[in-house]
Amino acid sequence: MRLIFQKLLNGIAIGSVYALFALGYTIVFSILRVINFAHGAVFTVGTYLTYALTGAAFGRNGQLRNASLPLELNFWLALTLGALGAGVLGVIVERLAFRPLRRRGSDPLLTLVSSLGVAIAIVNILQYLFGAENYSFGETLGSMRASVTLAGGELPVVIRTKQIVIFVVSMVMVVALTLLVNRTRTGKGLRAVAEDLTTARLLGIDTDRLIRLSFFISGVLGGIAGALIGLAGSFNYQFGVAIGLKGLAVIVLGGLGDIPGAVVGGLVIGVAEAFVPAEYNAYKDAVPFVVLLVVLLVRPQGILGRAQVQKV
Amino acid sequence: MRLHPVLALVCALSVGGCAVSSSRAQGGQEAKSSGQPAANTGAGQQVSGDAVLLGIAVAETSNVALLGQEEVIGARIAERLLNADGGVNGRPVKLLFQDTGGDEIGAINAFQALINAGVLGIVGPTLSQQAFAADTRAEAAGVPVLGPSNTAKGIPQIGEFIGRVSAGVDVVAPLAVEQALKLNPAVKRVAVAYAQNDAFSASETKIFQATVQKKGLDLALVQRFQTSDTDFTSQVTNIVGSRPQLVIVSGLAADGGNLVRQLRELGYKGLIIGGNGLNTTNVLPVCGRFCDGLLIAQAYSPAVDNPINKRFVEAYNQQTGNQPPQFTAQTFTGVQVFVDALRRLDKTQRLETMDLKTLRSELNSAVLTGTYETPLGQIGFDPEGEIKQQKFYVAQIKMDKGGKGGRFVLTN
Repeated sequence: MRLIFQKLLNGIAIGSVYALFALGYTIVFSILRVINFAHGAVFTVGTYLTYALTGAAFGRNGQLRNASLPLELNFWLALTLGALGAGVLGVIVERLAFRPLRRRGSDPLLTLVSSLGVAIAIVNILQYLFGAENYSFGETLGSMRASVTLAGGELPVVIRTKQIVIFVVSMVMVVALTLLVNRTRTGKGLRAVAEDLTTARLLGIDTDRLIRLSFFISGVLGGIAGALIGLAGSFNYQFGVAIGLKGLAVIVLGGLGDIPGAVVGGLVIGVAEAFVPAEYNAYKDAVPFVVLLVVLLVRPQGILGRAQVQKV
Repeated sequence: MRLHPVLALVCALSVGGCAVSSSRAQGGQEAKSSGQPAANTGAGQQVSGDAVLLGIAVAETSNVALLGQEEVIGARIAERLLNADGGVNGRPVKLLFQDTGGDEIGAINAFQALINAGVLGIVGPTLSQQAFAADTRAEAAGVPVLGPSNTAKGIPQIGEFIGRVSAGVDVVAPLAVEQALKLNPAVKRVAVAYAQNDAFSASETKIFQATVQKKGLDLALVQRFQTSDTDFTSQVTNIVGSRPQLVIVSGLAADGGNLVRQLRELGYKGLIIGGNGLNTTNVLPVCGRFCDGLLIAQAYSPAVDNPINKRFVEAYNQQTGNQPPQFTAQTFTGVQVFVDALRRLDKTQRLETMDLKTLRSELNSAVLTGTYETPLGQIGFDPEGEIKQQKFYVAQIKMDKGGKGGRFVLTN
């Protein structure tokens, strides 16, 4: 029982980060109906930006050998600025990889490939500038204890403080995003564009602005997710690659373009991974996709997705 | 030829990096030169004439790029110092670099390009699993290979042209267990964790587990993880639950360092041994203050007291401000062994009088029969190409007060 509770907590902690990352995918998909493959790279850049803003130095293998910024911001301030920087990068990605093709009315598949190209370019630039070293945030939580004991006894249930922080921040961001989309005028515009881009434009909505905004929000969420995962472990220039694939599984599982669906998908996959026995750990990365396959066989629209009605 | 920064940036943007560029070599296929001037550097004999070509095939890109980048630095320092000492009896040594990436196909392609370019010998590849694939190409072509970081069982046995300057894990790993028992003779229960997708770690853990059983200790738990993992709460939960007094981790710097950190964060207080993959200062930023006390088995220590190691450490320190990691030292050693063997060979029969095939074969024989004073200490080879190294080390990490920096302190 103790072990089940411990694994459940572990799964929820990592699942909440998957959810936060996948929300970035979701918000762009709900507007443009395409996957932004550069999201993983934006996530990585957000992490590097946060790291740099804390005043930490880079390693010796990149072109910016031992470089550091002449300021040492508090982690939370650095996280905020780093996430905003990632949001700006998200807008640049939209400008480079999406808008030119959208203007020409190209097949959405092409934007998928162009975003993949931008992702590869960003990742290689990161390696060129900062090397392949691993980085971590160090003691960013100040005097807080490294772990919290939830149930005592000889074999207590223990959770890392960072995991609690990650869970809380992720949930705050999910609530904030939900409020933005459902309770604000901008959110109403986003929903209108998501419903039908052409009609929204005909109604006088500045769709380009809202698309840019969706990429900005996506980048901010990616930047926050990156820094939070980096906080729990370490990161390098390929940080976003593996989680990028998992994020795809999360949004399909939860229901494409569905915000609560991304949260549920993230938590389901996180918990499923946590319950993989250690002797089968090599297959842990396959778990999201096996879960996905099973769910799609039963509910092709995902857990919370709406079934598509074909109008003739 | 030095790569223009803009061109280098364009190279960085390509998926595999700039694997091929710069100088046309003897055999026709182009390969990238290191960009170091192969000329007189003042300290030793003047170098001139046709360059002696050696190949470096390591992972400059991919998820193991960190190891490859460490190896590139070692090779470049070797090229610089050895040319300063007169190269091969006056002829400059020129290194041709090929990026293997992190997989077997990349290693095979890199080896083939270097073989076609006419190199006399190859130092590489980075990973043991790449060696099992690519070394067969060199063996078939009769090109001597020295593995700078291939420690899995069976590498020298691939063929007569295949050797290594990286000692097998069966020699290094048991020393750390012995040291742990010296530090805490009460150790009875041991938990082991290893990266099962890494041939080296999977090979090393078998040695650790056999050592644990040989010492009469109780192997309480074996946990597996992957080098790409960053969250180890499941493994740590299981390990802490098995109540060990010693945990042995076989992995690489990022995954191994994260596991160590999370073990400490979740309350494990006993001894931890890190395998050879954690023998790099790159582990320090990953586990931070939690690295403190970690025992590491080493095939190289910057403290080795001989002139060539002092020069090597000084050159590395000038370049990076740090102490050199093991793979940098081993790659340096690989280049040095080839150059020393060529110097001896050239004295018995001038290199230019031999055709390429004969020269490669003679070089292989010369490598195997020599004794070398290197940064690893004095080394030689057995007839199969396995390194015979005189001394190995066990270090314990001592972190600075802030937990940002630290050092490896020898315990034996």
